[in-house]
Amino acid sequence: MRSEKHLNPYLGGVLLGLVLIAANFISGRGLGASGALKSVVISVTNTVAPAHAENAKFYKEYNEGHPEGPMSSWLVFQVAGVLVGAFISGALAGRLKLKVEHSPKITSRRRLIFALAGGILFGIGSQFGRGCTSGSALSGMAVLSLGGIITMMAIFGTGYALAYFFRKNWI
Amino acid sequence: MGPLFVNEIITQGTDFLFAFLIGIGFGFVLESSGFSSSRRLAGVFYGYDTLVLKVFFTAALTSMLGLLFLSLFGWVDLSSVYVNPTFLYSAIFGGVVMGAGFILGGFCPGTSLCGAVIGKIDAMVFIVGLFIGIIIFAEGYPLWEEFYKAMPLGSPKLNEVIGISQGVLALIFVLVALSLFWVGEWVEKKFPAEKY
Amino acid sequence: MNKLREINPLLLLAMFLIPLALVIAAVPENTTKPYKLTVEQLLSELTVGSQYFSSDDIADLIVKKDPSIQLIDVRSESDFKKYHLPGAINIPLTDVLYNENEEVLNQDVKTNVFYSNGTVDANQAWLICTQLGYKNNYVLQGGLNYWAESIISPKKPGDVAPNDEFAKYDYRKAMSSALGGGSLEAQSAAPAQSGGSVPVIQKKAKKKKGGGGC
Repeated sequence: MRSEKHLNPYLGGVLLGLVLIAANFISGRGLGASGALKSVVISVTNTVAPAHAENAKFYKEYNEGHPEGPMSSWLVFQVAGVLVGAFISGALAGRLKLKVEHSPKITSRRRLIFALAGGILFGIGSQFGRGCTSGSALSGMAVLSLGGIITMMAIFGTGYALAYFFRKNWI
Repeated sequence: MGPLFVNEIITQGTDFLFAFLIGIGFGFVLESSGFSSSRRLAGVFYGYDTLVLKVFFTAALTSMLGLLFLSLFGWVDLSSVYVNPTFLYSAIFGGVVMGAGFILGGFCPGTSLCGAVIGKIDAMVFIVGLFIGIIIFAEGYPLWEEFYKAMPLGSPKLNEVIGISQGVLALIFVLVALSLFWVGEWVEKKFPAEKY
Repeated sequence: MNKLREINPLLLLAMFLIPLALVIAAVPENTTKPYKLTVEQLLSELTVGSQYFSSDDIADLIVKKDPSIQLIDVRSESDFKKYHLPGAINIPLTDVLYNENEEVLNQDVKTNVFYSNGTVDANQAWLICTQLGYKNNYVLQGGLNYWAESIISPKKPGDVAPNDEFAKYDYRKAMSSALGGGSLEAQSAAPAQSGGSVPVIQKKAKKKKGGGGC
């Protein structure tokens, strides 16, 4: 653990902070991730089921607010960069490997079911929270946003509150 | 001067190019800090690895201080920087649901992208879950639209709410976070994790 | 470098963050309003003189009670009380940067026209507002002095003056009477003809949003 191959967390944090400053300085906004996934969902719906996109309120509101189209979004480009950046880092450190990471006490199957459930919850939660850990909590905290700090505390608070019940999955 | 895009110093196209470059930096730092591993991420909730705590708060503090200094020098106009709007109930509820998602799934959206791209299958499944979750939210939107938009507070900053300057609040955050780090390092020694 | 490595990373971080945070907590916040125009842009606007409204135009707009025009007197309050143009409001030059005046100055509905006795103070007010990126601000050309000369008591042109001088004179006379000054001497007014062009009210450029939504 705490392998030599990983950056020192404080150094990583400072670097991440500098990236976040750059985003605010250049584009006047923070980082994010789930917003790009939302763009993908809306873009697919617009293409596959245009009738549905015109009727359902959520898509209608989004498309009216974004006449340039869901994929013409800052976050979509940023997330494309994230994929490239993470791949470069993983390749340089020799971490490119297809595997399911899980505690030795549970099976891969159990891990994947929980990953799916967690993903669904995070997907829903990120919409209510108007951003995920990076978009709402981290970027929000950097600009001292009340909402961001509330969301951040709710995420970590709930995590700690539920940790005991799922300890077998991780320890 | 800044933000460059808001002040129309750069065009939309250039802004998107920078978005891509910033994304590369973001992904690189996340992955090399170890955020592509769900077990390291989840460690923060059990005390065997407080990586998340350290990286997350160090990053928040760095950019908080950095932006305040840039504003002090007149290099960035903080009033033009986007601040998330606060809808109180939705923000709390969303955070709670995300917290549950975090402890079950072991990732958050940004880190799952990093994990997936270096071959973590659990991260890929997590992303599938994210898509499903967003679709559920979108399809059920009329049911919770009212709740989603309840208690709008505008885009307040925490320091305005408690009535202190941004600098003093940043100082408080620095002191609190450094104490948390110190506790975190102590806890890590107390609950050593096995190799993985 | 080796020495640096021996230090606990947390201590190292604290050594950087605490002093920086102390500095940022101690200094007052930068509340300077950012300037939006470069010197070149400003100079070019000044050279063209596009910030000016002629007194004839203003008189016309006042008589027509055009609701889109807002006259702003930048002289002192006492001067304002003694005399001011009809419908004008008073924002002394020293108060232009006050926040409570921003609502009037930074908007995109009305056309603001600054005036003072001459043009120096009005130009300064215009300069401040333009630098801050406020739109729709103009200056009364020649100020109140020229206003008095041309509108309140226009001089009759000499007998050999060209025809349009007479037209102008009649027009000003008419304005003057409509505004309650001068005598009702000229009846052959030609109010339709007004000098320069009235600038069209410009929509304030929508500020680009950084956008959000993670």
